Amino acid sequence: MDDLGRYDAIVLGAGVIGASTAWHLVQAGLSVALVDAEGPAAAASGASDGAVSVASKKPGPLARLATASLLYTRNLAADGPLMHGYHPRPTYIFGSGPAEGAAIDALIAKLDALGDAVRLRRDGAADLLPGTGASVERLVELTGEGHMPGYVAVAGYLRDPRIVKIWPARVRGLEETDAGVIVDLGTRRLHASRVIAALGVSTTTLFPQMPVIPRAGQLFVTDRGAPGALPGALTSAAYLLAKTTDMTALPRPPVVIDPLSTGQYLIGSTREDHADPGRVDFATLQKLMTRAAETWPALRNRRVIRAFAGVRAAVSDGLPIVGLAPGSTRVTLATGFEGDGICLSAVIGREVARMAADEAPTPALSGDLAALAPTRFTALQEGAA
Amino acid sequence: MTKAQVLVVGAGLAGVGAAVELARAGQPVLVADRAPRAGGAIHRQPLPGRAAISSHAARWDRLIAEAQALPIDWAFETKFAGLDHTGTALLSGATNRLMRPAALVLALGAREAVRPRTGWTLPNVTTAGALQIELKTQGLAPQGRVLLAGNGPLLIAVAAQMTRLGNPPVAIVESAAPFAHPLHSLALPLSYLREAAGYMATLIRARVPILTRAEVVAIRAEGTALSVRVETPKGPRVFTVDRVGLHDGIRKNDGGVTACAAVPVLALGDCAEVLGARAALASGRAGGIALARALTNGTPRETVPSTTLVRERAAQQRLARIYAHDAMARLADLPGGTVICRCEGGTLDDLRALGPTPRVRELRLLGRFGMGPCQGRSCGEWVARASADDPGLPPPDTPLGRARWPLAPIAIADLIAATSDTGAAPLPSEGT
Ligand SMILES: Cc1cc2nc3c(=O)[nH]c(=O)nc-3n(C[C@H](O)[C@H](O)[C@H](O)COP(=O)(O)OP(=O)(O)OC[C@H]3O[C@@H](n4cnc5c(N)ncnc54)[C@H](O)[C@@H]3O)c2cc1C
Repeated sequence: MDDLGRYDAIVLGAGVIGASTAWHLVQAGLSVALVDAEGPAAAASGASDGAVSVASKKPGPLARLATASLLYTRNLAADGPLMHGYHPRPTYIFGSGPAEGAAIDALIAKLDALGDAVRLRRDGAADLLPGTGASVERLVELTGEGHMPGYVAVAGYLRDPRIVKIWPARVRGLEETDAGVIVDLGTRRLHASRVIAALGVSTTTLFPQMPVIPRAGQLFVTDRGAPGALPGALTSAAYLLAKTTDMTALPRPPVVIDPLSTGQYLIGSTREDHADPGRVDFATLQKLMTRAAETWPALRNRRVIRAFAGVRAAVSDGLPIVGLAPGSTRVTLATGFEGDGICLSAVIGREVARMAADEAPTPALSGDLAALAPTRFTALQEGAA
Repeated sequence: MTKAQVLVVGAGLAGVGAAVELARAGQPVLVADRAPRAGGAIHRQPLPGRAAISSHAARWDRLIAEAQALPIDWAFETKFAGLDHTGTALLSGATNRLMRPAALVLALGAREAVRPRTGWTLPNVTTAGALQIELKTQGLAPQGRVLLAGNGPLLIAVAAQMTRLGNPPVAIVESAAPFAHPLHSLALPLSYLREAAGYMATLIRARVPILTRAEVVAIRAEGTALSVRVETPKGPRVFTVDRVGLHDGIRKNDGGVTACAAVPVLALGDCAEVLGARAALASGRAGGIALARALTNGTPRETVPSTTLVRERAAQQRLARIYAHDAMARLADLPGGTVICRCEGGTLDDLRALGPTPRVRELRLLGRFGMGPCQGRSCGEWVARASADDPGLPPPDTPLGRARWPLAPIAIADLIAATSDTGAAPLPSEGT
């Protein structure tokens, strides 16, 4: 077997979580290799929208971590690796009918409790945003959030030349010894003191005991037009509900209308329990687009040019998995970010890098990070036995 | 419940041939085409009130008379957007419909290829095929001074048709040296030779210069005219013209239909393999017969060996040798600012900025190649050739990733108006 060398830390997976972690590790002075089976942003991070949004997070640890990540993303965008990646912009949440109205009330209460990183700017109806369709009964405008395409964030982190990039190279296995960890790449291998596995939905190929499940989402892209008509994403309240509600029980289609910097629109999305990026269907396109065009009638003059599905890594209890792998002292897991990984990537990369360097987590976040520890599943399994 | 229709996309020789055989066997058939009338590439019909430019008109008239005597539904000015994994097809345009066909026949015809050159995206530079469509639908030769350039027998055909309509092209610039292979040529089927001889006689009589082993190296706008620099074995030449028709051969065209266990999919004619008109009709009829039999008996489709296909394949291989050239290498020498992806304006420099061996994701996400309306169907070949060590080698089948629906952009207003006879489940089908 060819020996490819020894590093302080090896990060597996060049999605947005792995790229952020690798970047934070080299800032701390560690030697770092980043390994990917295909290449940068090859999975979820290259097939997603890029809302950096607190509004869409479940209350509790996720909403608090997202708030911290939003503030930190703004810092990294000011003069750091996310300089070309992150763009602040308003968020619009809209709804029709009582269920969506109640979801918007709950959102306002949640934001109030989180401090002032994201603020409610206006609360009204369709006339609050010129161009909105009359079918919109309630519309609120939030300030403080932004947008960051996953692949642009990955490219930003990878610009640091100190990260040694190794791809295409699929990790076949890990062997932990007293001296370190051996990363098996088939015909080659690598050595490291610490390994961080940021493998997204593929986590279970190396860690089958982790309850990571695929959850696909369909996305549709329009042709270009004059940019700027819609200043920020228009998100249906049903999409907020979709994070906690069975898709079939949603009051209306869970539409998000995202204006891209190219003048295109990205329309999403669904939550489906499979891992097949080829499953994109016309019936879903028609239902999402019908509501999207009712909400933003300018869409009626556009054409759909692209359709694809991204596969999120969901976890059985709805929380990500971050921390030492059960039974390991050298391998850290960072996965299961479902629909929130772009938003959380800045803070998670920083905190996972601290863990790998044996530093304590940022004090204000330690409780919420502890809730993400992988050991929560081993405890369950032992309890059940 | 009425029996589901077979959807035939494309009303050219292959599509109509298949539709006739399916209908004759009792299968309900819907033929969709984005054009206003049946005809396809070779038998494209004139607009109302315009004269027909017919070659082999008798063949077409017979076929269309056969079709008209059978119960076939037609949807013209209607685009096929694709077939999804559930077996649903979307039609949009004059007919807007989501349908679940009993089977899908793709008879989309070939795709015309145009190799990037300096100035190829200027106004009044089109494909030679587009000039031919204009000629056939208007019944008139494209006006002004026209230069035809590139590679393949279509250039001579278009030039002869223009000449017969009174406006011969200024010149034909051909990459290959097709007349340097008399022995190969003589081995072509008689029908090919007869057709070629007819075109050549017209061109010689009109003294249309045919420059062989010659290349258009740059097109520049000069006022309302185009100045075209041509390299020939005898030295450079410059033509001042009003229009340029480029053509670098034709390619098969069957990508973008998602595999679906529920709906048999059959690609026929040039979209499956570029073999020309005779083969397209034969493949359409044979495919229609085999598909009808399979649908009736519930048996798998048997492929009928066809002597026509075998003969045309051999003839096309000979033609390919006659028209072989090494001009692909010129891609590597183009100025960095040359556009290779027309949809998104991506240049050779943009491609080179991605490094020596970019991955598909990097080509798409960072380079934006294949991210426009054509989804890489047109530019994929040039992106692949321009990044290959040897641009002359055949490029991979899907250099910018697997093609997906939509096959062509879907107007959102049409999509919303589409009626659904699929009985599709409410959105979305699953989720816990
Ligand atoms: C439709 C959709 C919309 C979304 N919208 C948003 C949004 O608006 N905002 C937001 O914050 N998030 C959003 N997300 C979620 C976000 O995309 C993910 O949470 C995030 O990208 C996950 O990043 P990751 O690095 O954990 O995983 P991934 O990006 O999946 O990266 C995993 C990497 O590991 C590599 N890998 C796997 N196995 C191996 C192996 N054995 N050896 C080597 N390498 C391997 C893969 O090639 C891949 O590059 C969305 C997701 C989808 C699908």
